[in-house]
Amino acid sequence: MPESYVDRLVARYEEQLQGFGASLPEEFKKSALLLDGVLGESELDQWAETGIRLAGQSLRAWEAATEYFRATPVIHATIGFQGIIAWAQLAANIAEKSSLVAASFIKFTPSVLEYLTLDDLEEWSLQGDRLFRGNWKSGTLSAAYFEHTPALLKFLPLASIEKLVSIIDALTERSYELASTCLESATRIFGELESSDREPFLGFARAVTRASWADTRLYFERGPSLITSISPEHRADFLDLSAKVTSEVGRQAFPLFADAAESLGQLSEDTHAEHILFASNIAIGSPTAAMEYLKIVPFVSNRLTSEQLRRWSAVGEEILTVENNAEGAEAFFRLESTRAENSLQELSSRIELASINTLLRMYAKALTGEQVGIYSVEELVDQNIGWVQESVATTEGSSIYLPPFVATFDEQEANFQSYKVFATHQTGRIEFGSFRYKWNQPGIYTGSTILEREESAQSRREVSADSDEVSPSSALTAMQRYFNVFDERILISGIFTVVEDTRVDAYVSREYGGIRKWLRQLQAHEGNRRPRVENMPLRAAFVENLLRTSLGRPETMRWPTVYREFLESGLAALKIVEQDDATVQDSAEAAAAIFDIAQRIPNVTPAMSDGKFDFDSPSEDMLSIQPAMPSGDGPPLDMQSNDQEIEFENPPQPEFRGDFKPELVQLLARLKQQQEGQVDGEGAPLTKEQLKELLENSVEITIAEWAEGDLDESLGMFLENLEQAATPSGEGKSDDDSKGSDESSGGQGDGEEQELPMEIDWSYYDEWDFRASDYRPRWTRVGQRFHEAEEEPEFYEETLRRHHGLVMETRKQFEMMRPEVFKKIKRVEDGDELDVDLAIEFYIDKKAGIGPTGKVYNKRNKMERDVAVAFLLDMSASTDEEIEKQRQSNSNDDDEDDFDGDPRKYFQWLAARRASQMIEPPKRIIDLEKESAVLIVEALEAIGDSYGIYGFSGYGRDNVEFHIIKDLEEPMGPLVQRRIGKIEPIRSTRMGPAIRHTIHKLNEYDAKVKILIMVSDGRPQDHGYGKDRTEKEYAVHDTKQALLEAKRDGITPFLITVDKEGHDYLQQMCDDIGYEVVDDIESLPRRLPTLYRHLAVE
Amino acid sequence: MTKENKSYTQLAVEDFRLTKEPYYLEINDEVSLFEAAYNNHIPVLLKGPTGVGKTRFIEHMTWRLQNSVGDAPSDGVPLITVACHEDLTASDLVGRYLLEGDETRWIDGPITRATKAGAICYLDEVVEARKDTTVLIHPLTDYRRLLPVEKRGELLEAADGFLLVMSYNPGYQSALKDLKHSTRQRFISIDFGYPDRDQEAAIIEVESGATPEYSRDLAKLAEKVRNLKEHGLGEGVSTRLLVYAGKLMVAGISPRRACQVSVVWALTDDMEVQRSIEEVVTSIFDE
Repeated sequence: MPESYVDRLVARYEEQLQGFGASLPEEFKKSALLLDGVLGESELDQWAETGIRLAGQSLRAWEAATEYFRATPVIHATIGFQGIIAWAQLAANIAEKSSLVAASFIKFTPSVLEYLTLDDLEEWSLQGDRLFRGNWKSGTLSAAYFEHTPALLKFLPLASIEKLVSIIDALTERSYELASTCLESATRIFGELESSDREPFLGFARAVTRASWADTRLYFERGPSLITSISPEHRADFLDLSAKVTSEVGRQAFPLFADAAESLGQLSEDTHAEHILFASNIAIGSPTAAMEYLKIVPFVSNRLTSEQLRRWSAVGEEILTVENNAEGAEAFFRLESTRAENSLQELSSRIELASINTLLRMYAKALTGEQVGIYSVEELVDQNIGWVQESVATTEGSSIYLPPFVATFDEQEANFQSYKVFATHQTGRIEFGSFRYKWNQPGIYTGSTILEREESAQSRREVSADSDEVSPSSALTAMQRYFNVFDERILISGIFTVVEDTRVDAYVSREYGGIRKWLRQLQAHEGNRRPRVENMPLRAAFVENLLRTSLGRPETMRWPTVYREFLESGLAALKIVEQDDATVQDSAEAAAAIFDIAQRIPNVTPAMSDGKFDFDSPSEDMLSIQPAMPSGDGPPLDMQSNDQEIEFENPPQPEFRGDFKPELVQLLARLKQQQEGQVDGEGAPLTKEQLKELLENSVEITIAEWAEGDLDESLGMFLENLEQAATPSGEGKSDDDSKGSDESSGGQGDGEEQELPMEIDWSYYDEWDFRASDYRPRWTRVGQRFHEAEEEPEFYEETLRRHHGLVMETRKQFEMMRPEVFKKIKRVEDGDELDVDLAIEFYIDKKAGIGPTGKVYNKRNKMERDVAVAFLLDMSASTDEEIEKQRQSNSNDDDEDDFDGDPRKYFQWLAARRASQMIEPPKRIIDLEKESAVLIVEALEAIGDSYGIYGFSGYGRDNVEFHIIKDLEEPMGPLVQRRIGKIEPIRSTRMGPAIRHTIHKLNEYDAKVKILIMVSDGRPQDHGYGKDRTEKEYAVHDTKQALLEAKRDGITPFLITVDKEGHDYLQQMCDDIGYEVVDDIESLPRRLPTLYRHLAVE
Repeated sequence: MTKENKSYTQLAVEDFRLTKEPYYLEINDEVSLFEAAYNNHIPVLLKGPTGVGKTRFIEHMTWRLQNSVGDAPSDGVPLITVACHEDLTASDLVGRYLLEGDETRWIDGPITRATKAGAICYLDEVVEARKDTTVLIHPLTDYRRLLPVEKRGELLEAADGFLLVMSYNPGYQSALKDLKHSTRQRFISIDFGYPDRDQEAAIIEVESGATPEYSRDLAKLAEKVRNLKEHGLGEGVSTRLLVYAGKLMVAGISPRRACQVSVVWALTDDMEVQRSIEEVVTSIFDE
């Protein structure tokens, strides 16, 4: 066989190919053979030449050449020989810089060509080339790019990949590692994304990279899953919006995006379009506001219907577009503005318990005449004393627990009325005595049979030798003893609940005609939501039917006509308690009678009874049944069941009636009595065993709820909880405000010496956001506490001693101001008393022809001095500064020259100064504040004005410390003196909330003239009191606003500062509010009383 | 001293007599107590919150005395009422000199006139008056039954039918406005509480002419609102206000509105308390 051209070709180049890597000649040979007959001879030559040139380009270019030879046979099919040449040129260009990159380019060309044309190859090579910067890292990246492209091309067109490249390129400027991670994850990400999302995803990625490169990784990691929660049609819009926002807001963009995406995920997808559109509209004015809007939408739409939501957002939009206040709109959509909250509240039909708590408390108090607390039912559940349902109303006998909010109806009014019905039903239980069941007492309409029942139960149990059963006398409460009588506690408990609730509802509609309508509405609402009777076994159906009647919906009863007499006698018994004046004793009897009937009904379904019965609608007779006590025992319902009976379960309670646990309530009442020491005739204190027995038998608590672990242990805990709940008010249950008292540490050392426990009373105040021109609702939390006291009033006494001259002088001045309580004004034209002397004078004058004066009356005028003043002392850390130093830093040390360059003189001076400082430590600003406090106390005690002294400091908006040194109504005494001694610098100066709290205190206080004097050493500043640490505007504006609030409430505010630079911000802060900069700091103690005299007297 | 005019009648206080029996429903035994006190010249202190019928009671008693009870004069017992206020002085009660022409003329004050006429002198809300006035009445209230008229240097012996009655509302007790013991212990004290629901309903029905149902509901409302005393309310709603509400209802005002103006708004200015009471009102009345 003659040697082919290819063989010759191989032979020709073999030598040249030696010296490169071993695989090169092999690949060359392999490909050449493959190309044999495919390419012409000259083409083959050119092909080989090109490869060899490539191999020779650099030290390791042979690898690229190997790839070249390997790839050519494959790609020839697609791009032809000319294509190969052009492509090889591209490779050569790359190889000039990096053979590694070129190898990668060549290697992946075949796969790429599945997606790209020959023309695209150049673009592709350029993209890879772009990533190469001549160093090793960029080479790897670039090679990786070529490697990943085939996979990427499955999902992205080349043009989009270009965008990705530019993102990665941008990242390389920061971190190669990040860039390659992104590149590597790109295929996976774009594979996961829907095709329509890919482009927008890139668009946003580019924006993120530009704005905040470090977030790119996060975005690549979390982005795809974040956007899956968004409706597919609108992901692109959302990403576009996010991209736009990013270009404006920079670094904040990614968190905003992530939150907004998560928020959207909580909403139903069909609303996404609207929200994203709205956000895009406001993004024009404020991108941040747009994202904030998306973030808050789930919260708001939980409270508003979509129409209301539209109206609510329109308010925010108006702030943006009409008022042109972007910051205001942002605060609005962040719900950090009063306007946003108010408008939400106005629009929302949902009623929050917190907003009507006081109202309902008074309402309940009015209805029951007892001090009834209103709490969220969550709190009762937290107490873990047997109540577990968080959504229904209930009472434990002394407080009423209501669901935290009601949003059942679309109308606010209806939801409010629901609350009222809830509350009225619960107060009804208290008012109409649901918990006052007494053992063996007759009712109004029924006698008592319970004793006989107990006896027969007793003998029955003896026969069956059921030793587990409790003896009746051991019952702790009447209710427990009552329930003990019945063999099926679940059944009797269910029936008693229905009967007693029927009685209470009947009472409520009789006594409170005004609620009747709403009660009916709720009853109807509940009636419509009842489970189907047809699905219930017969006994449960029996109870359910009674319940439906008691909801005023007898027509919805379903009962087999063949057994009608059972239901009829049950209904008749139920009707007994609907009559006027029926008592809980009647309920108990009726329940017992109904229990008897129910016991005779097997708990089976129609299916189990071989179709012996069916559920039918009630007859006319049944609807108009009259109250009657069922007559004794009857035969059990005649039915042979082929199956076991189904275990009885009570039908669910209607929501508005809530949980009813009379047994527990009576127990709690008993425990309470015991703790208050009034052990009544019923017997000795309760033992743990007795309690345990009650709780184990009671069906009012589900054992499973608390007995997951050791039964005894959880029972013990449960008992403790119960006892705590029974503790007289104040100890067991925390009041609304004292919740935060566990955070009392606040930089206070040993609190043991104090007379008063370190209790912190928290209040919330709005803060003024001048940018949004609106208050941030409940933004700051002020913790009021009594200030710590020294052991002995050393400081106070020391100050009095040191300044006794000044003290005397001030006191004298103040004493002169002391007014008379009554002042007799003589010679007025009209008054209480005729002054006979003047009258006689009048006549003499008249007779003598002298123009008489008609002022012949005396008048007595009450001139009560009625001034209350609150001093607010800055206890910020800066008051720790020594005055000497401050003075030095202020007054460029002009004594320097005095030493004439003589070091001896200087050292003498220094020694003298040190010595004086040894005797008397350098004074700090706070010391002067304290001294001033002492002086003012002395002065004010002389004049008798009411005054309070408070200190403030703290850190952050959640922890503004407000220290009471002397409260307005507190008498002056050693304790106050000792507290003054303990005044010490703490942390920051958030003036606004401190002022607001003082205003609140002054408002509570009854006085004609009210003054607030604040002493500080500098401008207001605190963590988060402004955009960033350096911003001063926000704090100054808020303080100013607080001062204006004081004026609005008729309080005269006055500011004293020892900050020499105070003029600039005080001018802005005080407008027309009085202030003074005390230049000579040490004159503060002298100055304060003087200023006070001016303020309080004029 | 009677002047007649077409539109009004002007009478001297001691000449005024009630012509119609004022309605009063005895709650306890206050009627017989008062009669016994009157017959024995024992001054009476009526204690109780505003609007429970103290004034009505005294009117009723005057009318009863005038109509043949006890040893009252045959032409009846006049009732002289003085509403006390914080600027009421001793001379306002006893009398004063006035200028008339070229001379001064003495004018008797109400207490002097009552002493002379043998009237019941009723000092309403006596704690409001200044302390000096209460001291003034001391000699009148013990066995002496004398009124010193200092400015004229006279002593007045009270006529036989004279009795001093004061009313006092312990509700707004502050240290400033309490009766001194020396004053207190000269009176027997009849306590006026709120009537119970049925009695109050009866009173409202008679006084306002409202239907028994409305009257009962109003009484119920009163009971509930009084539960709020000391919790935002200084004092419970008075029977008087309930009667007003009843009258408004008779006049065709809707019950809720009637209660709003005569109970809710009359009782307090505190918005929150107002709302709470209003909720009680809307619970009881359905329109």
